Amino acid sequence: MSKPEVSSVHQALRKGFKTVESNQQVWRSVLAECDPLMVSLGNLAEQSRALSRIHIANTPLRHFPDLEERLGFKLSLATDTVLLRLHEKMSSLQSVRDAISNQVVLVVQLYEQNTDSLDVLTVTERSPITPSIADMLEWLQDAERHYRQQFLKRKTLLQMLRADNLSLLESAPNRWKSLESPSAEDGITDSLCKVSFFVDSE
Amino acid sequence: MQTAPSQTQSSSKRSCQLLRCFQLLEPSPPCGHISPVSPAWPEAAGDSMTSLRLLSVDPSDRGSQRCRLGPGLMSALGLSLGSPLLVSVPGGSCLCTAWPRSDLAEGFLQMDLKCASPGLISHPPSLLFLDPDQLTPVPCPKLKGVKITVVVQTFDFKKHTPHKLIHELVKDMLKGVCVHEKHVINLEDVDTEIRYVVIESLHPDSASSGLITSKTGVEIIGIQTVRHYRSQQQDQNTVSLGGLEEVSASLREMLQLPLLYPGTLNSLGVSCPRGVLLVGPSGVGKTLLVHKVVGEVGASLVLVVGSRPGESEERLRAVFDRARAAADEGPCVLFLDELDSLCPRRTGSSAPENRLVAQLLTLMDGINQSDRFLIVGATNRPDSLDPALRRPGRFDREVIIGAPTLQQRKAILCVLCVRMPLCPGVDMAELAQRTSGFVGADLSALCREAAMHALRETSKGSGEQLVRMSHFQEALRLVRPSCLRGSLGRTELPPVSLEKIGGLDEVKLKLRQSIEWPMKYPEAFVRLGLSRPRGVLLYGPPGCAKTTLVRAAASSSHCAFLSVSGADLYSPYVGDSEKALAQLFRQARACAPCILFLDEIDSLIGSRSNNQSSGVHTRLLSVLLNEMDGVGLRTLERRGTEKIVQAEGAEETRPQDQLDCQEVCNKEVMVVAATNRPDCLDSALLRPGRLDHIIYVPPPDQQARLAVLKVCMQSMPVAADVCLEELATKSELYSGADLENLCKEAALLALQEENMAASVIKHTHFLQALGKMSPSLTAQQIHKYQTNFR
Repeated sequence: MSKPEVSSVHQALRKGFKTVESNQQVWRSVLAECDPLMVSLGNLAEQSRALSRIHIANTPLRHFPDLEERLGFKLSLATDTVLLRLHEKMSSLQSVRDAISNQVVLVVQLYEQNTDSLDVLTVTERSPITPSIADMLEWLQDAERHYRQQFLKRKTLLQMLRADNLSLLESAPNRWKSLESPSAEDGITDSLCKVSFFVDSE
Repeated sequence: MQTAPSQTQSSSKRSCQLLRCFQLLEPSPPCGHISPVSPAWPEAAGDSMTSLRLLSVDPSDRGSQRCRLGPGLMSALGLSLGSPLLVSVPGGSCLCTAWPRSDLAEGFLQMDLKCASPGLISHPPSLLFLDPDQLTPVPCPKLKGVKITVVVQTFDFKKHTPHKLIHELVKDMLKGVCVHEKHVINLEDVDTEIRYVVIESLHPDSASSGLITSKTGVEIIGIQTVRHYRSQQQDQNTVSLGGLEEVSASLREMLQLPLLYPGTLNSLGVSCPRGVLLVGPSGVGKTLLVHKVVGEVGASLVLVVGSRPGESEERLRAVFDRARAAADEGPCVLFLDELDSLCPRRTGSSAPENRLVAQLLTLMDGINQSDRFLIVGATNRPDSLDPALRRPGRFDREVIIGAPTLQQRKAILCVLCVRMPLCPGVDMAELAQRTSGFVGADLSALCREAAMHALRETSKGSGEQLVRMSHFQEALRLVRPSCLRGSLGRTELPPVSLEKIGGLDEVKLKLRQSIEWPMKYPEAFVRLGLSRPRGVLLYGPPGCAKTTLVRAAASSSHCAFLSVSGADLYSPYVGDSEKALAQLFRQARACAPCILFLDEIDSLIGSRSNNQSSGVHTRLLSVLLNEMDGVGLRTLERRGTEKIVQAEGAEETRPQDQLDCQEVCNKEVMVVAATNRPDCLDSALLRPGRLDHIIYVPPPDQQARLAVLKVCMQSMPVAADVCLEELATKSELYSGADLENLCKEAALLALQEENMAASVIKHTHFLQALGKMSPSLTAQQIHKYQTNFR
């Protein structure tokens, strides 16, 4: 802790963990907002399915002109709106990811600039309130990787949706839910707890 | 007191505070025993050059590309956190980033195979000890661009996803990854449809590895499905196949022609063949052949194994769809194994199989020219297939793979033994000769058995581990040819040598000529244009060692030996006996050279001339006549390849080697018949071309009787006063069996007289026995044999 390089890296790490902590909250809240949207997406898919099954001509509604087309149009319009709002949410998720990524890249760059003075002995040095630089960097990278993967998975799911594939649309809410990985989230919370003294010891 | 993981898992604010208390009490991270004040590892760095134990990767590290090693080794190699490191293991190498282990222990290595050579993805290394030399730090400059092939999970994804989206996703996934040329990036941890990325080339060509940043240009040069990619990978580790070169070449040609010259075929206006039916007995390697050819061509294989229950038609359609999808990416083979169970002959009733057969027929007809996949069916019971399948347009070609010939067996044995530590004394040619009738599966069983014998011997502690000829001989005793398994006349014969039979020198010579010589001196037979006799008839009075002679001849020539009696053949059902006999001949031909022994042929097969013989007899006779000298072979029983048929011609331009000759001479079944009533045989059987050699086995004369007595008394304690010459003279008209009986009687008499304490048999005993017995032959009988059939 004597070296100026160590303290500067520590400073960057602190900043990084703070970023992760604040962005974790944002991430959660955005995801929470996504849930009702996904449910309504599933609902719309179900409605479209019901529409495709029924023969309007066989029902009392046959006197309305072009009813099937109109309903279909309305449904697809509604689906589009929901998807649009989901994409907005995705962009806020992306900004969360980018914020974390940038911070982690900064820390790594700072470390790489100072590798000469930070030998392996120094970076693995631990103290009662300060985990080693290696551990903290690892936790930061793990968190960054987690958010990057989560974002990719969710983005792929949304991008794969097609209006003509109803079953894909119908199953989307469930698949969206299954993407959550509480254990990885807990891992990040864990590491944030482990560094809480370090972060506060500024 | 350690901070238990269960306590740290909670994310609530309260538990966070609780955790802080824990950390106050015991603040150091998981492995607190290494004090930061007195670092334990500089000592360890001294022995960091000892071998490293490769452990499986920690779950939390999966996808991080980290390689965990001890900090001592890290500083010894001059690595800092996240430095790229190339680890070479048997089978490939892996690029990862160095990171200290969280417990700082030395001597272990855990690496995440995010970026590894293709071989490691399918077979991850495990339980290895690595040398520190195998770790090399490599520079990873930022790359300007990479060319990649994307491997995706399903064909659907490939087809429906816009190229731009895949590009975007892949770029996101690859960001921050260190890549190495020709390595595969494993993206399974992200759990999307994109599974792997193959790095084809890097932009600054000088670098063999580098880091992909957000500024790196990513160019996708191809998208494949996982199935296709795996099948391409497989060809590197296929086994070689012995003796099936020609068949595999023709299969390969069918697969490759339409792909190499699509234009030519179109301009010729022909459609390339789309169906091949492989026919052959089980164990000759039909399935293996298909797998091998598919591996060589790099085609993808869609496999259907017969006899699937349930919604068969739908599944069949799905399989064809899959094949069609796979054919878009490259050559594809749809392999229907055990076709006979999938598509049996349609019967009159509305069995569910009928619908399945109809579905297959329509599907095969529905293949249009643009679908470039090949359908290969394999069966060992072609007769039970629906005949509609076997016409051009469906299965255009039928390739018959018969039981391997001598040369093929040799080739197979060579392939099988490539990786066995063989003693130089093991003679493949001789083994191939001894294994007539063995198919590929039998031969591999033989090699396995021989290796097991060798293993058992080494476990007893006799030093070096080599498989010797004696092991193969042991194994030959256990492993029998599978084409004879379940055959009618298979007999275990105890080895008898011709020397054990007294007298009859002329007969022995004749037998040698017809059985042993063609095996031993094939080139002489070919030179003189001789062919092996089709059949030999031994006749003579009963008890004169006809059966024993045949047995001895068979065991001296290492042929397969089948022996049939009436009990095997006769059946209460009409037509069954004939079928059994024909089947017997078929099996005998499959494992030629083979001796088929028909003992007491007069009772087995009658004559057409005397009217009292029943219908079965005459029918059996007609089968026998046909099988022995019929019009030709059934196509199904073809063995070997064209080459051998050509070699049969008399004018050979090339010098023939011995094995070749042997194959030519000995591809027939030899029928050996024995009877003591030659007058009852049908004259058609006795003409040359069927039973060519008719050998009279005479009753023993004085010299022969002497020899027989000598052989009989070999195991008996005989008193010195026994005069064999006298006995031989006195036993006029005695047959061999009589003489053996005489010795037995004498021995019993000796026991009777001396109350079980007898130790020798005296001359008087023999004379007494001679007095009691009378010869079984009569002069009249012998005269009849000699006059009627000479």
